[in-house]
Amino acid sequence: MNQTKLHPYKRGVSIIGVGCTPFMYTVDREETNGLTEGEMFGYAALKAMEDAGVNPQNVDFYFHGEASPLNGSNYLTPNVHVTNWFGMKGKASIHHSEACCTGYYAIEEAVNAVASGKYDCVLSGCVEFGDSLAVGNHPYKREKMTMEKFLQTTAWLYERPYTRSLMAGQELIYDDAAEWYKRTRGLTDQEMDDTLNWMCINNRRNASKNPLAIERRPYEDIAKEAGFDNVMDYMRSPYNPRMGDFLRAGGLELKCDGAAAVVVCATELVDKYMGNKSHKPIEVLGVGAACCEATTPHFEVRATEEAVRQVYELTGLSGEDIDIFYANDFIITSHLVAAEIAGYLPYGEGWKYICAGRTAYDGDKPINTNGGRTSFGHAHAASGLADLYECVRQMRGEAGEGQVKKIPKTAMLRGYGGAQNICTYIIRTAD
Amino acid sequence: MAIELEKVVQKFYDNLEEGKITGKKCTKCGAVEFPPVYACNSCGCWDMEWVEISGKAKMHSIVMPAALSMKPEYKAMGKFAYGEIELEEGSRLNGVVRGINKKKRNELQDKLPVDVKAAIYQRDGFKTVVFDLVEE
Repeated sequence: MNQTKLHPYKRGVSIIGVGCTPFMYTVDREETNGLTEGEMFGYAALKAMEDAGVNPQNVDFYFHGEASPLNGSNYLTPNVHVTNWFGMKGKASIHHSEACCTGYYAIEEAVNAVASGKYDCVLSGCVEFGDSLAVGNHPYKREKMTMEKFLQTTAWLYERPYTRSLMAGQELIYDDAAEWYKRTRGLTDQEMDDTLNWMCINNRRNASKNPLAIERRPYEDIAKEAGFDNVMDYMRSPYNPRMGDFLRAGGLELKCDGAAAVVVCATELVDKYMGNKSHKPIEVLGVGAACCEATTPHFEVRATEEAVRQVYELTGLSGEDIDIFYANDFIITSHLVAAEIAGYLPYGEGWKYICAGRTAYDGDKPINTNGGRTSFGHAHAASGLADLYECVRQMRGEAGEGQVKKIPKTAMLRGYGGAQNICTYIIRTAD
Repeated sequence: MAIELEKVVQKFYDNLEEGKITGKKCTKCGAVEFPPVYACNSCGCWDMEWVEISGKAKMHSIVMPAALSMKPEYKAMGKFAYGEIELEEGSRLNGVVRGINKKKRNELQDKLPVDVKAAIYQRDGFKTVVFDLVEE
């Protein structure tokens, strides 16, 4: 496969502020039903700027991510339509979409803009209504997204001339990584099933400590209510039906609504922008990226391998240097596969770490401490920045009940989505 | 060779209507792109020529269709699985292989890669390429 060599940034770039809404089903609750794109994006943006200690007028530019603005918002240029909401009227912006990977490329875009020297301070935000659709030209009404509509639009993720015609690429997203892992690591069917289930349990345990997560009830409690003393008996039961060759219902994303944002600035200008803020900036050391269109065998695996290779080559780091790991796991298998390819979990042993609970927030190898896509929720574009929000809170020691045991200094976040983009980056707390 | 604005996709499907499964071969390194595209992904050369695919191939992985990965129209193919296909010409792609159910998958798992053969399959309004398991 083709490879790319990364070069060091022209100047360092640091994360100085993060913001995130709760992930939610907005139309299901009176207090959130009727929220609009500007309100959601604006909240996350202002929270990030407040956190950074910057005034909106001191931010030079913003990036806007939304996976499916035409479908969810009836918008073609969604960046323009939120621009008056957070004090940046007249400032330039651009919209981008890499579907479920949007929130990871949100960092790539912002960092490049500052590292180049063109801008000193940039906001990058994402918003998604994954659970609802704008109603015609009504100013704020939304309606629930039907599964039929969702499946119709996700079909657009796949290339029309060949992939849709050949039928396999779009269907392999659910189970290809599990088949690959099981076959190459020599697991039995039962071991693979248990591993997938433990990832769901661990994600939920993490989410149970996170007030922004959409589903916080631990599986142990759900199992007891259904009459199961052992949570794994519940996970193996028809209460958690198989939806794929390997994948069960619990391993699928909870699509929902949400927004998140980050403020970055030139590391050399941190003191100027952060003012009297006391938290340490977090430097972006590098971003690796690759795309494997869905006809490519083992697309997630191959693109992750290349993106990880790039960022390790650039930084000189390895999996042993990573203290905490995040992976976009709208298909739960992703977090095992990504963590092992990144060397965060040892080759062929990652599934054992997961089944022993070592990847939960209170384990020694924490993954997706916010609950991941199966418990924190998946507001498609916004999820990547929501992961960054959680990661930054962990690195500052501000994660509350869900705080990992040892404050992480170096983190890797791996984005995935859009049939299929991969974007992997490493961040490190400044000394 | 000059870069041409060529209707590669339409020609690929027209060739299927004529009973030919075709790809593009790189005149510089010999790699075959299937399905056909403008430039070689092995060496970057864009001087490519049409070639007919032999149809001989290997299947390297097997994933069974399930609730999430099944569509009503797929039922017409009978029993089938998805997987990584390697053509005799070297190209690798995700494809459909007919002739595999769960029992057969269990028999084949320890024998991978297994031989498969490309076939032209009629979908609603166009023909496409699937593969058939070659039974020993």
